[in-house]
Amino acid sequence: MLQVENLSKAFKTKAGDVHAVSDVSFAASAGEVVAIIGASGSGKSTLLSLLGLLDTPDQGSIELDGIELANLDDKGRTQYRASQVGFVFQSFNLIPNLTARENVKLVLEFSNYPHADRDARATEMLSLVGLDPEKSERRPSHLSGGEQQRVAIARAFAAQPRLILADEPTGSLDSKTGQKIVELLRNAASVEKAIVLVVTHDEKVARQADRRFEIEDGTLREIA
Amino acid sequence: MLIARDAVNTKIASVRASTGTTVTVSPAGFFGFQGGGTPLSNKQIDTLVTLPYVIAVQASLNEELQSSVTSLTSPTPPGFLGHHFGGFSSRGGFSIPVRFVGTNSPGTALVGGANGGGTEKLTSGTAFSATSTANVAVVGTSLATTNKLSVGSTFTAWGTKVTVVGIYSSGSTFADADALMPLATVQKLAGATNQVTGATVTADNLNNVTAVANEIKRLLGSAADVTSSQATISSELSPLNSVKTISTYTLFGSVIGAAIILLLSMLMIVRERRREIGVLKAIGASNRSIVTQFIAESTTFTVFGAVIGFLAGVAISSPITSALVSASSGSANVTGFVRRPDGGPSFGAGGSGFAPPGGPGNGDGHFHFGDFHNTITQIHTAAGWSTLAYALLMALVIAGASSAVASFTITRVRPADVLRSE
Repeated sequence: MLQVENLSKAFKTKAGDVHAVSDVSFAASAGEVVAIIGASGSGKSTLLSLLGLLDTPDQGSIELDGIELANLDDKGRTQYRASQVGFVFQSFNLIPNLTARENVKLVLEFSNYPHADRDARATEMLSLVGLDPEKSERRPSHLSGGEQQRVAIARAFAAQPRLILADEPTGSLDSKTGQKIVELLRNAASVEKAIVLVVTHDEKVARQADRRFEIEDGTLREIA
Repeated sequence: MLIARDAVNTKIASVRASTGTTVTVSPAGFFGFQGGGTPLSNKQIDTLVTLPYVIAVQASLNEELQSSVTSLTSPTPPGFLGHHFGGFSSRGGFSIPVRFVGTNSPGTALVGGANGGGTEKLTSGTAFSATSTANVAVVGTSLATTNKLSVGSTFTAWGTKVTVVGIYSSGSTFADADALMPLATVQKLAGATNQVTGATVTADNLNNVTAVANEIKRLLGSAADVTSSQATISSELSPLNSVKTISTYTLFGSVIGAAIILLLSMLMIVRERRREIGVLKAIGASNRSIVTQFIAESTTFTVFGAVIGFLAGVAISSPITSALVSASSGSANVTGFVRRPDGGPSFGAGGSGFAPPGGPGNGDGHFHFGDFHNTITQIHTAAGWSTLAYALLMALVIAGASSAVASFTITRVRPADVLRSE
């Protein structure tokens, strides 16, 4: 269970303070896919950074399964990112000199996943996202965009995190491939019992989520 | 440069070690049997033993006896040089006098100390004691052969019967023509009581030779000429010291330059891989694990570079070192007599009082003229394990220094900033 209460973040600029995230509160349950839509500069990515503990909120709380995360120190935040959060980026952000399998195994290493089980877990996740086993030994540059995003999803879910943060996961893909990726996210959320938070400006993607929120000028509201 | 510096260092150490730890003292103005001056006294010599760092003082009184004063005949024919240097070219019947060396250190005298720097070895009989006052002698092989002497034989000198107690061989015609006798005996028989014509002072180690020489000069003042092998050799070593200085500065310059280049390279790599660093942090990598990865990379680069540099150094260090030494020693020349590096004390004056025998290139440990300079500038470069260890150590220092700055930059990368720019 993810519980966000009164989360706020402002940036100082020459023109004054910009409230990127303003008093945001919402909750999401395991296995649920939540879509957050909004225009560019509305605060989507900042909200994702706060939830992924890549940035610190000015105020508010983030609770995951009853544990307060907003006040963790650097070490705690790193451990949280390694074991409780999975990221899926628009531009995939796979490590270019590692194979698909090695990219997945990398997060298992960071999360101290049992060494003996890492290979099997990587195979399981790559199979779950439908990557051809032969391609699992290829480097990202030898994979298509859709295949790279499959690997990125496998990497995000590999360490069995409680929360998946997907930032425009279909933004670099054609609509057909994007559709498959959203299905994959839904399926993985269901199988792995994880909360999936998808930030997008694509209405089609948002409509496939269990719940939808719109963010505007840093303020979040649920839409039907 | 490291290899060149090591080679020059080794050469300097070897030359310094080979020149010995002795200081020669002779009456001012006296050289061999030439020149003038006033003999030194036993008392003056005795004070030298008390000086700091001095471990031994070998005193000698040298006499040349004509056939009217001794029954011995010199085995050396006068020849052209004898007539020329002896100034007897216009006279008939000239013969070389027999040299008598009175020494208070027969042990040292028989291993190359007193008698012209030879490598004398006792071939029969015994030596006399340092404090002996007996009328005994240890004679050179050729002197013994010419005069049909063996252990137990007798001859006369200064009208006194002297018994041969030992025979030595040095391999040098000059040194084998001498007779060694106790110092006190020669002083008594020659009517030169309390007189000494030379001393060889031995310092406890190479680093104290100059200090000992300076202290002797201060003590004896203008009464004595004091020369040390180290002082003599220092001017010859100055080109090598210059090369050592040049190579040291170049080495440090290279290390600093390499560190700066690697530092900038690492900063560039970190900058280029900023996104990767941000992503790694986002997916759970700690600063420590990322920094470790970059340090491993920079260390690998540096060690790889060090190995290539080492191999290149092995290949080109010899010509570079030779060129540096040649350039630095172009104007240096040797004057006077110097001893070969495998010998003992340098310069003939002092302890033995003998002019240097032997010819160039015979490698017998005797004095040679002029060829020493070539010996010094002939440097063989070799890269040993210690050089390799230094090279690797420097490589690691460079890698460490550059990695430290790169690491600091890595820790400051904020994944939110990197990912926000998507």
